[in-house]
Amino acid sequence: MMPDLQQVGEGQTQQWAPNTTVPVVLLENVSKTYGKIHALSEITLALSGGVTGILGSNGAGKSTLFNLLMGKLKPSSGTVKLFGTDPWKNPAPYARIGFVPEHEKMHDWMTAHGFVSLFARLNGLTREEAKTEADRVLNFVGLTDVAHKQLGRYSKGMRQRVKIAHALVNDPELIVLDEPLQGCDPLARTTIMNVIRELGKMGRTVLVSSHILHEIERITEQIVILHNGRLLALGNLHAIREKMDNIPHTISIGCENPKELAKDIINNDAVYGISFPSGNNLQIQTHNLNEVHRELPALIVNNGHKVSSIDNPDDDLESILKYLTGGLAR
Amino acid sequence: MMSPPKKDNVFRALDRKLGAVAEFTMRQYRTKLSTWVILGVGFIAIFIVVLFYVDSMQQEIEAIDNDGDSMDWDGDGYPTGQERIYGTDPDNPESHPGTFSPPIAPDPPEKWINEDDFDWDLSARGDTTVGYDDDGDCRLADSTQSQKDNNRNNVECDIILDYDEMRGEWSEPNSDRLVDEDPDEEKYAKEAIHRAFLLAIGKMGFVFLLGIFLPLFLATGLIREEMDNSTMHFMLAKPIARRDIFLGRIVGYLGIVWPYVIAMGLIVGLISGFAGPSDGFFRFADLGMWMAIIFATMLATLVYGMLFCALGTLWKHGIVLALPFAAWELGMAILSFNAPSASILRFSVIGWSLNIIDAASLVVWPNMNLFINMGLWGGGHGDGGWWGNSLEGADALSAFASDTGLGISPIATIVVSTFVLLFQALILWLIGSAIFKGKEIE
Repeated sequence: MMPDLQQVGEGQTQQWAPNTTVPVVLLENVSKTYGKIHALSEITLALSGGVTGILGSNGAGKSTLFNLLMGKLKPSSGTVKLFGTDPWKNPAPYARIGFVPEHEKMHDWMTAHGFVSLFARLNGLTREEAKTEADRVLNFVGLTDVAHKQLGRYSKGMRQRVKIAHALVNDPELIVLDEPLQGCDPLARTTIMNVIRELGKMGRTVLVSSHILHEIERITEQIVILHNGRLLALGNLHAIREKMDNIPHTISIGCENPKELAKDIINNDAVYGISFPSGNNLQIQTHNLNEVHRELPALIVNNGHKVSSIDNPDDDLESILKYLTGGLAR
Repeated sequence: MMSPPKKDNVFRALDRKLGAVAEFTMRQYRTKLSTWVILGVGFIAIFIVVLFYVDSMQQEIEAIDNDGDSMDWDGDGYPTGQERIYGTDPDNPESHPGTFSPPIAPDPPEKWINEDDFDWDLSARGDTTVGYDDDGDCRLADSTQSQKDNNRNNVECDIILDYDEMRGEWSEPNSDRLVDEDPDEEKYAKEAIHRAFLLAIGKMGFVFLLGIFLPLFLATGLIREEMDNSTMHFMLAKPIARRDIFLGRIVGYLGIVWPYVIAMGLIVGLISGFAGPSDGFFRFADLGMWMAIIFATMLATLVYGMLFCALGTLWKHGIVLALPFAAWELGMAILSFNAPSASILRFSVIGWSLNIIDAASLVVWPNMNLFINMGLWGGGHGDGGWWGNSLEGADALSAFASDTGLGISPIATIVVSTFVLLFQALILWLIGSAIFKGKEIE
């Protein structure tokens, strides 16, 4: 009942050794309900190593899942284990975990270096160790130059990187990032994505949540899709995509002469419809996205078309969800 | 990549997580305007009371000739008191000490005002009799034995004052004739007002006002504000138990409040030490009182801090839960003035804190109860006497001073009260962190 003088966290963590025979993250039949609302239903998931994207629209249960992992919520039923330990009962696993919360509020009066080194001390580092560690992680996310500026004067992307830096203290084995790209400018996005990919290459287990498919696609292929609190799909993004190739897709092409391009494209068997939304834009309806994309570059180059952009407007989370739920998604 | 940690001693270990949370909390409070507003309001409130005190110390208190012996009723130039001492007739202008050989010069009348000082001393004269006939008019040669000892305790020129242990009351003083019948009002009033001020500001200003309102505004949000601002997520994502976060936040809050209480106590202590009545230039003995006041206030801010932080964690509007507690404690404070041994006081924080101050006052001013009783007796001119009043300051001092109510020695009272308060803080810490641990945070 006394204060923990050894300061290694509750649960006799001096002896706490992560169980290497179990997955880093393990959820078994985990549900979280608020009254009649099911935030999460019967999630079973085991993850170890690599970058995993947690995809889901707003309200799908991503944040609830992360809050369960971070010991901030108690599961209504089922078990949550990190390195084999229940995080609601024992904060010891957090010695090996870094968390980037979604919330934007930070302690604006602190400098980035002060913020990171202070929270590094909560990992059990001394003042001096914490300062060295703060220098290292801030350098890792590319903020060394501005490390001694107040957080209140940081741009959104910079703040996001500070949060990531603070999570990387003590070189954690599991890094959990809740919507790390939300609201960032393109440059910050690229930097953050690179950092996440780098962590994956270093052999860490990384969980990244997002509601935007393209973002996740640029980071990882291994995804978990949540929808209305349920685990909808788990696995390789491309494998899921393959299955989607047989359903109707739209490709939008920006070009100088849509009519000429349409004439060439209509010959392709996979294309069954064409429309012209505006004077320099062409939309193609297809049920085989891959084949069209295979043919398209050659067709454009061979016929000398001037093309400014090629987009797949419905190749996003919504359409995947629509496909996976059989059109039941909103 | 990290070097293995050096072997920790307790201080190095504490400097890690707990120290980091505490340091963070202190720095956070320093950046908040509200902190400075609250501390500033506390300073102003205390300082206004100090101004009233300093003003009252500057005022002249009229010296009253309680027994009328400065008068020269027969017009021979000799005050009555002087004539009485020399055995001449105060009502006969022909009879005065000027007719003696050699003749004795007349005293100025002022010499026979306040000629009895105030000097009750229990220890010097046994347990039940007090008083000293400074002007010698009780011990006059021509007084009869029964006049010199009309309270019949076989001691000449004294006052009987008994303490009834069972009822916890002092008896009505039973005085021999002309003992301490004309005490020094100014000297008494200054001393009494000074002591009353120390007790009043110590109890109501420090323990009650600072002791409750600083925690009310500074501790209630310690955990709650972080939860509402969702900045708590950063802390909860680290390997630190919520119980230690709770404690670290409290330590950080005390890191702001305790230096403030100590500084306030020293400032007011210095002012009153110089402004108060003393033989030298400074009332050094009062420092013991100030140490007790500061100590009691520190303990009160600790216990209330734990309590209000727990209430804030329990409910978003924890301050609403805290206010009834503050009202309860005010009631207990008022009760402690009138019924210091009421057992309901044991169920309060302030009752124990005030015990420390009361006990210290008995250590610092050992003759406290005699001093109060002498003032209330007013030289025998109290109830039904000529002037019908106790000495100025006596009522105020009597109101603010109380017994410790535990029925044990002052030092033991301080020790017991300290342990009780620390125990209360420990229990509240465990309750508060249990509440915090059970909280789901989003």
